[in-house]
Amino acid sequence: MVQNMLMNLLHIFIFPGLLFVTVIGVLMTGIDRKLVARMQKRVGPPIVQGFYDFFKLMGKESIVPEAANKPAFLAAPIIGYVSLVVMVLFIPMFSFSVYSGTADMIVLIYLLTIPGVALIVGGTASGNPYAGVGASREMVAMIGYELPLILSVLAVCRKVGGSAMTFSLNEIVNWQAANGCALFQWALIPAALAFLLVIPGEVGTQPFDVAEAETEILEGPLIEYSGAPLAMFKLNTALKMFIMPAMFVALFLGGVHTGNVVLDVVLFILLTGLVSFITMTVPHAIAARFKVERLFKFYWTLVAALGLVSLVLVWFGL
Amino acid sequence: MFKKMIAKSMSKSPWIYHMNTGSCNGCDIELVACLTPRFDAERFGFKLAGSPRHADIVVVSGPITSQSKDRLIRTLEQVPKPFCVVSLGSCPKSGNVFKGSYSVEAPLDKYVNVDVSVAGCACKPETIIEGLYKATLILQKKREAMEK
Ligand code: SF4
Repeated sequence: MVQNMLMNLLHIFIFPGLLFVTVIGVLMTGIDRKLVARMQKRVGPPIVQGFYDFFKLMGKESIVPEAANKPAFLAAPIIGYVSLVVMVLFIPMFSFSVYSGTADMIVLIYLLTIPGVALIVGGTASGNPYAGVGASREMVAMIGYELPLILSVLAVCRKVGGSAMTFSLNEIVNWQAANGCALFQWALIPAALAFLLVIPGEVGTQPFDVAEAETEILEGPLIEYSGAPLAMFKLNTALKMFIMPAMFVALFLGGVHTGNVVLDVVLFILLTGLVSFITMTVPHAIAARFKVERLFKFYWTLVAALGLVSLVLVWFGL
Repeated sequence: MFKKMIAKSMSKSPWIYHMNTGSCNGCDIELVACLTPRFDAERFGFKLAGSPRHADIVVVSGPITSQSKDRLIRTLEQVPKPFCVVSLGSCPKSGNVFKGSYSVEAPLDKYVNVDVSVAGCACKPETIIEGLYKATLILQKKREAMEK
């Protein structure tokens, strides 16, 4: 009983939870910035730059504007952060999984929207017109990427569970262990592509960062934030940078079993890093920002079509 | 331990907010040049911030026209402490070629305590980076003074 509780606490606060995911997410932002710099023939900031930014923001004064709704303004970043930490507990890292249920995929999809909603709430609560514009843009982006995301996830669930459809990530991973990665099922390749295109939109990196466009609307919803709450929002982005690729690896590249749990986890993290390099770092270095309506159109036509093709193929048993 | 880390991070991740108070654009362009691959100020952690709320170093260029004076003061009031003010070029220091004009209210240190002034008309990117680097050290000292 006591041991069980200790294990739970360990999982929540140290290993896949709070501490681990924060450190790895912040490291990933540092690696991302370094690689972008190297691609542009610059030296770039040190890899631990994310930690410097975090601690510096912690040491600054936190100002709450007079026009702001104080509770919502301060609670929003923390709610987003907590929901992201909870998400990590549900993602199986190959053979290592903490919690699993019959429908954890649905839980994940719901939890995934919370950081975005927190950004909208925090932005509108700050009472700044730029933040209002940013919040409305974030809303458009969310409506945009949510549809293809759900379509591609549904395709995988149908493939794995047959007509019964399974929403358990653990079952999906086990199925892949028996039948090979979902990425190598040709009917699921469009869904995988759609998911890859959703990742930068969800995280809000370069070509899809309409909500925080610092050259247009001065970081949008974050404009009034300073000090510790701003640090929390920056952490949210960092965590998403780890969680979205991790979801991709669990959904489409799962099922690698080396027999050793530690090796599995290391392999999982490496694959996650690779996916984040392909989906976020490279577009960041080479692409300019989408217009808001272009972004919406892009997701609802091309990306959603990819997801839909996969879903129809899978529905007919291919 | 955290206090030490915070003080150290202060000098490692300075975010810059650039304020143009009627500059001829010469200094502004040189500031942007600091971030290009040739000079790459990002290797020290410098980043251009969009909002004064995110700023650690406020860079002021231009001779402070009457129109921009109130806005300058209002903006500086919105920056969270601790922060540094750096004046860019000869304009905010003395008024430069605009000195004596009816619409120019230089020098900058009449309104705010300037921590570092970078000389030159237009100043070189190397000097700007050096000035900003010195400002980060002052920033760290200010943070340490805040603890006491
Ligand atoms: S110092 Fe010279 S280059 Fe800089 S803003 Fe003034 S006049 Fe222009």
